[in-house]
Amino acid sequence: MSGEFDVQIIERDDRQARFVVRGLTPALANGFRRAMIADVPTFAIDSVRFTENSSVMFDEMIGLRLGLVPLTTPLDEFEIGDTVTVALDVEGPATAYSGDIESSDELVQPADENIPIVELKEGHSLEFEADAVLDTGKEHAKQQGGVAVGFRHLQSVTVGDDIGEFDEQEPEILRGAIETDEGEVVLTKEFDHDLTNKYPGTELTVEDVPGAYVFHVETDGSFDVAELVLRAAESLGDRADELHDAVTA
Amino acid sequence: MELRVIEKTDTELRIEIAGEDHTFMNVLKGELLEADGVSAATYNMNPEQSGGQTEPVLSITTENGRDPLDALADGASAVRETTDAFKDAFEAAA
Repeated sequence: MSGEFDVQIIERDDRQARFVVRGLTPALANGFRRAMIADVPTFAIDSVRFTENSSVMFDEMIGLRLGLVPLTTPLDEFEIGDTVTVALDVEGPATAYSGDIESSDELVQPADENIPIVELKEGHSLEFEADAVLDTGKEHAKQQGGVAVGFRHLQSVTVGDDIGEFDEQEPEILRGAIETDEGEVVLTKEFDHDLTNKYPGTELTVEDVPGAYVFHVETDGSFDVAELVLRAAESLGDRADELHDAVTA
Repeated sequence: MELRVIEKTDTELRIEIAGEDHTFMNVLKGELLEADGVSAATYNMNPEQSGGQTEPVLSITTENGRDPLDALADGASAVRETTDAFKDAFEAAA
């Protein structure tokens, strides 16, 4: 099925987006979702050399927290397995934040500045050097680029007759985005997720639109959503190429 | 990606595709099921803890004289075409 796809972006900002894709099969939609979560690599701190740690946390606890700090990852410049050295030196009383991490490469920086690593009291200090490694979410969850990736069927609403004057209308709760009578895609938060707010006093029929899926994609800040989606599609395509070459060789 | 043919006749193929998981196998299976001359396609994969065959095994049955290996090669290129079409559509919208 190398059919026609139609993509419509409903909302997007730096780290999250919602879009409708038409012409997908469930297998393909799930393939893209899984690839976004597990197969697009990002940098994460993987090994730490402590020079001094007189904080209240063990080295291992700080190591775990450091691994979870998202680092910006320009994928054109690096390959899986590449490392970037980062370092931190903070003396108490102060809180060591992710923003205090100094990177040897200006392309690879903490994506958020304000993640607390550990609170240091008077006389405490923390100093280390660490290696951030580029790898996939399949290897370790800290290297997932997509942190909340999901899809659901696009649902369309058909407005019917008015309900009886004294009939009670049941709430009709929907999530994400829906397609209205006029074929327009609307976010459900615009009517507080209850369809009866948008169409009061009418009979409503809600059904799935075949082959249309609403994706909601959120990244950890390593890169933007478009990068994540395109890289995921590319990783599936790469594997297809590899299989094709292996079979025909 | 290491391939190992387990069984091959004129109309049937069972092949181990080492190093792959549901992400790719399910997409490939979906693509094969829509191809002409393929009457059945499925894959089997056991969990890590099962202690048996844990790499995915793809099974294809063909009809109308189609060679299953050819069907597999075409299925793989169809996946590539599909992902490229999706990328183009996404870039056009973004």
